Amino acid sequence: MSETGTQLKVLQTRPNQHKCWSCGDMRAEHFCGECGHVQPALPTDFFSFFGLPRRLELDEAKLEDAFYTLSRKLHPDMYSQASQREQLWSLEKTSQLNDAYRTLRDEIARTEYLLSLEGIQMEEQSKVATEQARALGVEKKQTVPPEFLEEAFELNMLLEEARMGEVDDDVREQLDATENSLTARLKGLRDELHKVWQRWDAGDVSATGAMVDVLNRRSYLRNLLRDVQEVLG
Amino acid sequence: MAYSDKVLDHYTNPRNVGTMDKGSAEVGTGLVGAPECGDVMKLQIRVNPETNVIEDAKFKTFGCGSAIASSSLATEWVKGKTVDEALQIKNTDIVKELSLPPVKIHCSVLAEDAIRAAISDWKKKNG
Repeated sequence: MSETGTQLKVLQTRPNQHKCWSCGDMRAEHFCGECGHVQPALPTDFFSFFGLPRRLELDEAKLEDAFYTLSRKLHPDMYSQASQREQLWSLEKTSQLNDAYRTLRDEIARTEYLLSLEGIQMEEQSKVATEQARALGVEKKQTVPPEFLEEAFELNMLLEEARMGEVDDDVREQLDATENSLTARLKGLRDELHKVWQRWDAGDVSATGAMVDVLNRRSYLRNLLRDVQEVLG
Repeated sequence: MAYSDKVLDHYTNPRNVGTMDKGSAEVGTGLVGAPECGDVMKLQIRVNPETNVIEDAKFKTFGCGSAIASSSLATEWVKGKTVDEALQIKNTDIVKELSLPPVKIHCSVLAEDAIRAAISDWKKKNG
């Protein structure tokens, strides 16, 4: 087999690996497998950075281990005697590592990040839906159910009154009950989110819609809980 | 982040805060929310059945200064317009008028949604 043919085969079987800049051997993501030199920081997604598949259920303890191990190995202090470009790469990779770890270790940030990789920007969804509705001349479908908005509105009215006046026993009792119910519902949403994760991890791409839905409701409940707790003091 | 003078003006001196009788046939109610920030906005219009002109508008918004300013401005703008004219108001008009920064564009989206939802509710009642 010709040399080009061999190289091609290697590239096909190990698509994320490239030649080490230093010794020419095929390298792993971060360090050359042969000579151990740090490799350039390439644009990559956070899952790939850790060599993980794009799945949402992940072993957080293992992720933490991988973070600390890489963190030590990539630390810029280790490269103070190295070439200038290696110093730069260790710095760039450390920064990638921190971003990747911060995002993946948090359930919500991880889910939102996966959605963004799938082309769904949580921040943009409302604007996009409005533009579509306007263009089609139809009523926009609200991103949360109407009874949910109604409840959020009423609770906000109650909170506003409580902030302006005295929080008497009746109001306090009502807010205590609300706090408990919001906490329980947030826990329920977390379970719901995990179920949607399983769908996604099993290959169901339509699960992204359900993820957005859970995150939207969660965002409301979390804000309401925060406001209730603030008034309860 | 600094708010523009116009946002501050509407925020400290909001126009048309209040509620109308939801049950009235002349009143359209729009209740909308932005999950990005958890804001809720209620906007109501009272329409003259003869002329289809929006004679009064009220709002109540729980949210940030930009959301309050956007809805306050929206009530000012819809008053005196026919429902069809009011449907022409776009969130980008509100962004321009209030000089909203990119992170606050969703507040203007909310205000446009609220106008459209209120008109849609009124149309349903009078369809």
